[in-house]
Amino acid sequence: MSLNQRFPLSDAIEVDKLVEELRAEPVGGRLRVGDPRVVEFLTKFARKLLAPATARRFPELASLGFFLRKGEIAKALSTLETSGDALRFPRGLVFHVPPANVDTIFVYSWALSALAGNHNVVRVSSRSAGAAETVLEALNAALSEVDAETAAAITATQRMVTYDRSDAISGALSVAADLRVIWGGDASVAALRKYPLAPHARDLTFPDRSSFAVASVRGWQNASEAERRGAAEGFYNDSYWFDQAACSSPRAVFWVGDEAGAREAGQEFRKLLAEVLATKQHVTEPAMAVQKRVSAYGAAVDGLVSGIEFQGNGIATLELADPAILPREWLGAGTFANARVDTLSDLVPIVLRKDQTVGQFGFSKEELTQFVTELAGRGVDRVVPFGSALTFSAIWDGYDLLTEFSRLVTVQA
Amino acid sequence: MSVFTLSQAEREKHLLPQLAELTAHHRENSEGYERILSSLGIARDASFASIADLPWLPVRMFKTHDLRSIPESEIFKTLTSSGTTGEGASRIYLDKAAAGAQTKQLGATLQEVLGNERLPMLMVDTIGIIKNRRSFSARGAGVLGMANFGRKHTYVLDENDQPDVEAVKTFLANYGDKPFLIFGFTFMVWQYLYEVAREHELDLSNGILIHSGGWKKLIDRAVDNTEFRRRFKADTGLTRIHNYYGMIEQIGTVFLEGPSGNSLYCPDFADIVIRNPETWEEQPVGEPGVIEVVSTLPHSYPGHVLLTEDLGVYNGIDDGDWPGKHFSVMGRLPKAEARGCSDTFQGAAA
Repeated sequence: MSLNQRFPLSDAIEVDKLVEELRAEPVGGRLRVGDPRVVEFLTKFARKLLAPATARRFPELASLGFFLRKGEIAKALSTLETSGDALRFPRGLVFHVPPANVDTIFVYSWALSALAGNHNVVRVSSRSAGAAETVLEALNAALSEVDAETAAAITATQRMVTYDRSDAISGALSVAADLRVIWGGDASVAALRKYPLAPHARDLTFPDRSSFAVASVRGWQNASEAERRGAAEGFYNDSYWFDQAACSSPRAVFWVGDEAGAREAGQEFRKLLAEVLATKQHVTEPAMAVQKRVSAYGAAVDGLVSGIEFQGNGIATLELADPAILPREWLGAGTFANARVDTLSDLVPIVLRKDQTVGQFGFSKEELTQFVTELAGRGVDRVVPFGSALTFSAIWDGYDLLTEFSRLVTVQA
Repeated sequence: MSVFTLSQAEREKHLLPQLAELTAHHRENSEGYERILSSLGIARDASFASIADLPWLPVRMFKTHDLRSIPESEIFKTLTSSGTTGEGASRIYLDKAAAGAQTKQLGATLQEVLGNERLPMLMVDTIGIIKNRRSFSARGAGVLGMANFGRKHTYVLDENDQPDVEAVKTFLANYGDKPFLIFGFTFMVWQYLYEVAREHELDLSNGILIHSGGWKKLIDRAVDNTEFRRRFKADTGLTRIHNYYGMIEQIGTVFLEGPSGNSLYCPDFADIVIRNPETWEEQPVGEPGVIEVVSTLPHSYPGHVLLTEDLGVYNGIDDGDWPGKHFSVMGRLPKAEARGCSDTFQGAAA
């Protein structure tokens, strides 16, 4: 049972051999936190992603390329500067298990870990689609554009592999790892946790999450025509990019303010959203349109909704009978629960630990800070404006990833 | 008494009031159904201008929710279908009256092509399919439901799912010179009856074949309905072939292929609406769309107007073997797949 090496492109390899190679010290010395060899390689790679042809085909790769530009990397690394008695070092070998279907998560996870100076092995889905293939091509191409010593160090320490189901391989990589990173939801986490880690190692897990949006009625009323249109466009990107199935995509929209204002604002917002769908020539497959009706009618049978409205196949709005009972599961691309509350504070008791991203429109930083303070850690990891829900950041699911990917050594004379 | 008599105009006139009444009946007796319609803003006293205006439920609702219009105490029979993988099974609740009505109407429908007496019957299946009465597959339920319409049942497959050529030969020796009934699922009929009959030069010319099921496996072998009929006729003499389209969610209602083949017809208590999947408006003749099945039989559960996940097309209206709309089934809608963070591939696990 061997693994296919997708990056650096190489012959299939047995797992024990792979672990042995990854354990070895690279030429030019051990990787350090913010190692210039890694930085150089990542910036070359980022340039490939930002090439116009690639960015046009896969907008999500352009976001990734932007995230890995030299300036952005420097900014991220600056957060790691230590003071006093502490020095920061890599954790060692990191085993990443990304989700099958969000093609770019594995790159963010890997790149930050490499920046922290770790040796990495990433299990890429063999089902990976267009964007993931393009990423692997760009990585391999970047390798031939850095100097020989850098290429040798990257090749020795960074591997992206695919392999078919295998207890032996997953078990061997798990026990060899100093840190295991599991994306892809509860089922993945449960499945991977069957394989023991070394006593000193631990898991960094990204389980199932769900997200919702909040819009201020007053903020909407005060917004210009262009801002409102921008909100609808941003919301479209947040929701429709991954068929609303990404954990950060909103599944419910709460209008915060008076009833008449909320009704009017909501109607105008949905009208603008429908226009965005038309402009983008968004197509809802018939099977998806049926799926949305199954979900919407099911929510009605369950007593969760008091009204269902379809604007073509693209937008389904489910008026919640009780804002406190919101659907957190996927209901089909472009299916939004809708409800009104008087204030953000009314949402506090509704929030669960599972809630990840709150997309917002029309609130001030103070109002949002007040809301998060009131939440007091019961849930919600990030509040972002409409349009940024899917933008990855080095702080994710409540973790400062670079910190998680490194460890501190203290020295007292 | 034929049940293939109503022109489309007569059907509208005759069925619409019954269907509107059924809609009201189910709103009254099924809380879930009432919640759906009221959420959609359909008034209790809404009137419907045509059959196509009636609100439809996606057939998959019966896989995700229990919908019935009878109290638990009156459940006489619960039908379950094996759903496609990863989904639950449909659960269809019948009271005594509904169970009786579906058998009676299925009989009336098939009488059109079988006549009044029960014919000797070849089952293109194995007796094993109905042996385990506690857990029926949809196939077993189909075989058992159809068995009522014949006598002297002979199973074409033995207990090991191998064709029992001797049994078929004996059956034909005893009954083959008069009309006899053949029943089976399309793919099995092809694989186990056609191929065996051709190989052993069996004479099926007095047979009446009733078959149903997907064409997918046959299309892979480049056999469509026309080819299926042509080859049966050429190699076995069988010409009376009737495909039918039906589903457990509208048990008792089958849309039957007419004598000249290649088109399915609605019995008088049923109708069909082909819908445009973008606008959900009714499609004209010749334009493919999603099939909606309509029947006055579902009284114990709100299944009288159902949107299937099959694609079909009207071949014509009031211009075929029998009156009313006639249509073809073209295949299934592809499954809606979501790409999501928590979608992990089988095998990420290990």
